[in-house]
Amino acid sequence: MIQVSNLSFSYTKKPFISDMTFSVSKGEIFGFLGPSGAGKSTLQKILIGMLTTYQGSVKVNGIECKERTKSFYEEIGVDFEFSTMYEKLTARENLEFFRSLYQKKGRPINTLLEMVGLEQDADKRVSEYSKGMKSRLNFIKALLHDPVLLCLDEPTSGLDPTNSRMMKNLILAERAKGKTILLTTHNMQDAAELCDRVAFIVGGKICALDSPHNLIMSRGAATVTYTWLDNGEHSISCPLNQISSDEQLRKLIAENRLQSIHSSEPTLNDIFMDITGRTLL
Amino acid sequence: MRLRGLFLWDIRFQAKYGFYFLYAVLTVIYTIIILAVPENWREKTATVLIFSDPAAMGLFFMGAIILLEKSQHTPCAFAVSPVRPAEYIISKVGSLATVSFVVAAALALAADVTNLCIVLLGTVISSTIFTLLAIIIATNIISLNQFILWVVPVEILCFVPAILHLFQITPGWLRHYPLNVCMEMLAGFTPSIAGIFLVMVLIVFLFFLSKHCVVKMWNGMGGVKL
Repeated sequence: MIQVSNLSFSYTKKPFISDMTFSVSKGEIFGFLGPSGAGKSTLQKILIGMLTTYQGSVKVNGIECKERTKSFYEEIGVDFEFSTMYEKLTARENLEFFRSLYQKKGRPINTLLEMVGLEQDADKRVSEYSKGMKSRLNFIKALLHDPVLLCLDEPTSGLDPTNSRMMKNLILAERAKGKTILLTTHNMQDAAELCDRVAFIVGGKICALDSPHNLIMSRGAATVTYTWLDNGEHSISCPLNQISSDEQLRKLIAENRLQSIHSSEPTLNDIFMDITGRTLL
Repeated sequence: MRLRGLFLWDIRFQAKYGFYFLYAVLTVIYTIIILAVPENWREKTATVLIFSDPAAMGLFFMGAIILLEKSQHTPCAFAVSPVRPAEYIISKVGSLATVSFVVAAALALAADVTNLCIVLLGTVISSTIFTLLAIIIATNIISLNQFILWVVPVEILCFVPAILHLFQITPGWLRHYPLNVCMEMLAGFTPSIAGIFLVMVLIVFLFFLSKHCVVKMWNGMGGVKL
């Protein structure tokens, strides 16, 4: 679906994105992770054909982005982090308007509204919507024309846990339908849960690219931490894969003296910090 | 098909924002003014009123419409849609020209102008010029204050020579100034071929410039925080 080779881009004389090469398969959820100013937005702008003065090759759905025409957008749905709706119009009117811009018939508006639980509020003005409702409305706006590629920017931002879960299920359902999804998020838990692969972007370069599972596993196994009382509380950690050879632990188990025991895996955030030396904030 | 849809939706947005109600009220007020002045002043009064409001409404209202769209981030949605900048501009110019046409027709009929067709054609041409100018300004600025700052010199350049021309105070070198040609048409005079040619050249130039500005606005806004 997406082939990027030797991509370089610069706003000034100094390179902003340099020599990026990667591809995204059809039906894949691909995440871009990186701190602010890392080049994620610029990369996404290139992938959706809004920046065309790049070097190298960027093909999306078989079309070189710098040669795209407006019909390129018949197959791309973009969900921005902020609302892009007319506030004085109702949700239904907004959806009717934006659907009228596409040649494809797309999906029924009522079905989309039901999907995100907005059917009761469809005839309310968007200005009366909460941030979470606007996020859900923005998401279904990107699905209106049933595109093959979805670009989602922080899709769970501003959503309560229930709606966040619903949104993640909807994203997974779109993948199940064969859609390719590009996801930009600061939420490592979302990325680990949703993405088939993630790319860590720092300083306009891809520092790592793999599945969240492989990235986590590549940085060492999970550890087990246990505590016991012996003239005060003591705590020891040992790698999970060496647990059987930990004499202290075996002894404490045999004597039933363990106060607590828990395992912990490195998170995607730990891996990100490990690889890039930076946090996502 | 998409252009027709955009045009109809633009009309619907303008109605939602109370634009037509405002112009219905203004039309009544202007008609009362026209009927209140002595009969031999009516045609000139109508010419000035049509030029300064229905014909020039695009200069103010299109600026407001685009700034409103910017505040709601809708240009981002257009940037990633199949809508072409030319379609966006034509629908906006067309929707405002329609209102200008209707209001100008009402005022011209009230004043019983001698050459209604030329007056209405002049209104549509003037409205197109003013709306394109507003698109160029509004796409390049970010606040209402900036818009007002930019509109004032444009207003002076467009209005002063044209109004002076209506009262036959025109230096020779401004004879075919496009806004003077528009004013001539609003006064019911058939313009010269050279005048019409220059007006068309101006419209084509403003159209391409506004297209460039719209593309810049769409692409610029889309990247703010994607």
